[in-house]
Amino acid sequence: MTKWTKIALRNILKNKRRSFVTLLAISIGFTAVSLFRGYTHNTYEGLRTSAIRGEGLGHLTIYKAGWIDKGKIDPDKYMFSMEDIKTITDIAEEEDDVLLATPQLHLSGLVSNGDISTIFLAQGVIPRDDKTIKGAWAAFRPVRGNVLDEKKPYGIEMAEDLARHLNLSPGADGVVMASTLDGQMNALDIQVSGVYDSGSDATNDKYMRVPFSFAQSLYDTEKADRIIVLLDDWKKTEQARTRLYNRLSRAGLKCEIKTWNELSLFYSKVKGMFDMIFIFLFSIVFIIVVMSTVNTMGMAVLERTREIGTLRALGLKRRGVSVLFAIEGSLLGLIGSILGAMLNVGVWAVIRAVEPTYIPPGVSTPVPLIVNLVPQTMAGLMIFLIFLSLTAAILPARRAARQNVVDALGHV
Amino acid sequence: MPLIETKDIKKDYLLGETVVHALRGVDLTIDRGEFVAIWGPSGSGKTTLLNLIGAIDEPSSGQLLIEDQDVSRLSDNRQTELRNESIGFIFQGFNLIAVLSALENVMLPLQIKGKSFSVAKDRALSRLHEVGLSDFVRHRPDKMSGGQQQRVAIARALVTNPSLVIADEPTANLDSDTSRSIIGLMRSLNEKEKTTFIFSTHDQRLLDRVGRLVRLEDGRIIDGGDGK
Repeated sequence: MTKWTKIALRNILKNKRRSFVTLLAISIGFTAVSLFRGYTHNTYEGLRTSAIRGEGLGHLTIYKAGWIDKGKIDPDKYMFSMEDIKTITDIAEEEDDVLLATPQLHLSGLVSNGDISTIFLAQGVIPRDDKTIKGAWAAFRPVRGNVLDEKKPYGIEMAEDLARHLNLSPGADGVVMASTLDGQMNALDIQVSGVYDSGSDATNDKYMRVPFSFAQSLYDTEKADRIIVLLDDWKKTEQARTRLYNRLSRAGLKCEIKTWNELSLFYSKVKGMFDMIFIFLFSIVFIIVVMSTVNTMGMAVLERTREIGTLRALGLKRRGVSVLFAIEGSLLGLIGSILGAMLNVGVWAVIRAVEPTYIPPGVSTPVPLIVNLVPQTMAGLMIFLIFLSLTAAILPARRAARQNVVDALGHV
Repeated sequence: MPLIETKDIKKDYLLGETVVHALRGVDLTIDRGEFVAIWGPSGSGKTTLLNLIGAIDEPSSGQLLIEDQDVSRLSDNRQTELRNESIGFIFQGFNLIAVLSALENVMLPLQIKGKSFSVAKDRALSRLHEVGLSDFVRHRPDKMSGGQQQRVAIARALVTNPSLVIADEPTANLDSDTSRSIIGLMRSLNEKEKTTFIFSTHDQRLLDRVGRLVRLEDGRIIDGGDGK
C-alpha cells in the first residue's frame, strides 16, 4: 500500500460517521441501480423470449414489399406464392445462423360454438415448425390438451379466455368463418385440440393457432403472408436481416424484413418505459453520490487545511495534494461499490429464496419477480462510481492544492 | 557564500482596507552552521520573516537568496523541491499528521522526496533515536505529550539532512523544562551536524543558549542583522 493510500484510508476511517454516510449513499445507490438493471435484464430476457418464441415472431419476419401498407386492401397481390416461399426458405436456410424459415398465414374472422360467435385472430403455422420455434418456451406456458398436429388438419389451439367465452374445451367442436381472398364467405369445422394462455389480457380472448394448410383452406389460397426466420442467436438479428435482405434482393425478390423487437409492440413499450425509469433512477443516484462525495471531500479539505499546509511546507507539490484527495475520493467509491455489490448479492439471494410474484399490467397470470446478477453491469457500475467519486473529489482537491501555504498553516 | 541573504525585504498585508507593513526592509545574512534566534515582541514580524526565509511566502519587494538562488525567480514546483531538499520546519503547534505514527511522520519528507520505504524507515528510526523517542515510534501524535510531539517534529525536520531548519516559536506550547530541553536538543544537533537553525521566540529565558540574536521590532531589525 502506498503512503498516500495509507493516509487516505486512515482519514476515511478516522472520520467514521461522515465516511459512513458517504459509503451508505454510494452503496445504496450501487445496489438500487444494479438491482434495477438486474430486474430489467431478466424482464427484457423474458419479453424477448416471449416475443420470439411465445408469440412465434421468430427473429425475422419477411413480408413481400408493400404488404405492411397495402396488404389489408389487396392481400392476394402482396402475399408470397408457393414458388416465392420455396425460394425464400431455401435462401434463408443456406445461412449458417438460420435454424428455420417457415411460412405463416395470419387470419381473422368469426368463431362459433354453434350458439354464439365472436371474432378471432389466428396464426396459421406449420405444426412441426411451430414446435421448433416454441422450443423450451412451450414448457413455460403449456397447452392444455393436445398441440397442433399435421395429421389433424382441423385441430386448432385456442386461447384460454376465448375458449371460456365460447364454452369450448379440448375435444369440443366449433366453426370458423372468414372471407376468402376473393371476398366469398367460407366456413370450416374445427375441433379444439388444446387451450393455451397467450400471456396477455389483450389477446387471450381472441387468439387461435391453426395449421398452415387449414389457414390456406379458409382463405382459399395457396399463398403465405409472411415467412418467419429463426436464428441461433438473437444478437445476430440485425446482421442476419441485412444479409438476407441483400441476398433476396439479388434473387429479384422485393421484400421487407422486420425484426422481432420492431413487431413486438409490448416489448418496445415496456423497454422504453424501463429505460426511462432507469435513467431517472440513475440520475438520482448520480446526484446523491456526487453531492455526498463533494460534501465529504469539501469537509475533509476544510478540516485538514493545516495538514495540507504542513505537507506543502515539507515539499509536497500541488499535484501531490490533489492526488492525495483524489485517492481518498476513489477509495470512497471503491469501498462503497464493494459494499453495494455485497448488499446487491444479499438482496438477490433473499429474492431467490422468497420467490415473490406479481401481475404486471396487461398480463393475464402472475409472473415471478426475478432479478439477475449481471456481472458486466456491476463491474461497469463500480468503475463508474470510482471515477465519479474521484471526479467529485477533484474540485475540493484542486482548491486545497491552490491554497497559500502560510494561510493553510495558519488555518484554525 | 552565505546560506541566507535577504536584501531590503518588505512584506505588506492587506487587512480589510488597511495595509499592514509586516516587514519594512530587512537586510539579513546568515551563514552555514549558525544558531540564530529572531527575537522580538508579538507583531514585530518574526513569523513573516521566517515564512519568507522558508520559501513558503513571497516578499512584496526585495530579494531572498538561499544558497545563492533567488527564491522569487523559482517556480512553485522548484520552491517546493527546495523546501523538501534544503529546509526543515518545526512548527509551534507541531503539525504532525494525525493519522500517521511517529515513525511514519518522520519518514514522510523522505518519501515525498522519492526515497524507498526501507531507506526512509532506517533514516527515520535513526533520527527518532537521536531525539530520544526510540520507544515511541509506533505511537500516534494524540498518544504523545507536547514535548514528545515536538521531538518528532525535530526528527522530521532533520531527516532529509537539510542545510537549514526553521522553527517558529518551537517552545510556545511547552512548559519551561520541556522548552529548555527542546532548545538544548536543537543546539546539540546544530553543534554536532553543523545544521543551521533559525528560530523565533519571545521567551527571554532561552536567549542565553543561542549563538546569535537578531532583534526585530515593528518590521525592522534593531540589532544583530549583520551577524556581529
